[in-house]
Amino acid sequence: MSARRRRPCRRAAVLRDPGPVLAQWHEAVQLRAEWTGHALSTAPADRAAAEHAVTGLYALLGEPPPAFVWVPSPAAASVVVPPVDTGAASGPEPVENRLATLVFGLRERLARSARVEPVEFGWNRPPRVDPEAALREGVPLRSVLERVAAPALRRAVRESLVALIRAGTPNLPDFTWYGQHDADWVGFYDIHRRVLGTRFGVADTAHFELWASLARSTGWWWPRAGVCVLADRPAATHAEPVPDGSGERRPHGPAVRWRDGATAYAWHGLPVPSWVFEDLTVARIAGERNVEIRRCAIERLGWTAFIDQAGLRLVSRAADPGNPGAELQLYDLPYLHWGARTRLLLAVNGSVERDGTRRRYGLRVPPWFDHPVDAAGWSYGLTGAQYAQLQRRT
Amino acid sequence: MRLADILDRSGLDVLGHLERALTVPVIDGLQAQGDLIVVPAPMLGTVGVHSFASWEPVPRSGVELVRGEAGNNPHTLVADPGTCHWTTGVRDPLWLAIGMFSNTSPVYLVHPEHGGSGVAPGRWVVRRQQERSGGFRRNVLVAD
Repeated sequence: MSARRRRPCRRAAVLRDPGPVLAQWHEAVQLRAEWTGHALSTAPADRAAAEHAVTGLYALLGEPPPAFVWVPSPAAASVVVPPVDTGAASGPEPVENRLATLVFGLRERLARSARVEPVEFGWNRPPRVDPEAALREGVPLRSVLERVAAPALRRAVRESLVALIRAGTPNLPDFTWYGQHDADWVGFYDIHRRVLGTRFGVADTAHFELWASLARSTGWWWPRAGVCVLADRPAATHAEPVPDGSGERRPHGPAVRWRDGATAYAWHGLPVPSWVFEDLTVARIAGERNVEIRRCAIERLGWTAFIDQAGLRLVSRAADPGNPGAELQLYDLPYLHWGARTRLLLAVNGSVERDGTRRRYGLRVPPWFDHPVDAAGWSYGLTGAQYAQLQRRT
Repeated sequence: MRLADILDRSGLDVLGHLERALTVPVIDGLQAQGDLIVVPAPMLGTVGVHSFASWEPVPRSGVELVRGEAGNNPHTLVADPGTCHWTTGVRDPLWLAIGMFSNTSPVYLVHPEHGGSGVAPGRWVVRRQQERSGGFRRNVLVAD
């Protein structure tokens, strides 16, 4: 009898009303959008706020306020920022080192208060979950924040913008802090304290506010002894929606442009050097050692134009099984420029594009195929004879 | 069945420029949809099912066989309830097979860019496409 009475109780605990926790989640989503907005801001830097925050950080290190040097872009910083102080082995550590130690200490304590792992490894990424469904099933909001909100912020800021700007800015000085692009971790802990009410302690909260203020006010910056170089925020950013329906965006084209004209380029989210957009030639493509960049560059030029201009040697051609009217073509890629010996199979899509044309695409295949149908079969793990039985391609 | 009917039944959608009034042919044999290929299971003697594989029913709303990883579009398998089961517990020495399905009436593969493909009753292996890479991994999967 008593067991009977207990059972409904237990069930009630699991199926509690998800309304309040969903409202908290929506608040978190709103804050996340707000911080992503700071990361994407193209307003001129709020110099007073940024200088005030940096002065506060120097004060935490027991340093007097530094002299401030403003530059228009990270690229312009490389000639202005003094080299890292690698001086005496004895004596106090340089300012830039101590600042790094300071913020890592802060982040470790914040992580402990929020009960998350302080270090995120990119290759140990949890699978994506549907946040609202998880919350309805009773997964704690704290876990959902860590599994959904934190990775989303990281994808939007660190893995796209920071990676893009770092790739596009050679000779970037060491000990870079990201200002608006520290918005991923700053935003995550801000969500934690404002939505979950996590407390970080008085001193750490004041310290955290300095980083939050930097994320709201400036671009990248470099602390050195007695001087701090800060870069303005970009003048324009350019992105496209990720075509998986997630609503996330990825950099594309002249993705970040600063007020001095410096530009970081991307091709559908992948950082590419400026020549892909400004000086696109077959010679540049053949000279590029990174295959992904090469692919992006060829796609931008178009496969047909590339094959024409690169003078690739046609090995053989054949009708494409299952794709009436289309032809498979097998080309030799010039060995010297392409590293490992490969051949290129040029095929035509089975379905039409929005503009009514069929897109061509190139596929690299092993060099030992002389017949395009054999090569096409290999791409699906089939023999040429099997692939020749293909009835339809869309 | 017309593409429009398949979309109505499953609640899926394709890009606006694809012709919806066309009948989607049901094919009893090898057919490809972009970077996926549907192969009759008997054609691939080396591809088998794990003993611990679980066969899941395919609902009317479909299952996504390939979810976009680098922003590519999903290929969704849709079937009338009770007519199709599928599993990912396949073993393929070439590591290209992503699953196998078994159907007793026609099922359809739907992709936002490629439209629909009809598959006749039978047992089928779904494989992805690979490409030669110059890098450390000799062969890499193709995404479209």
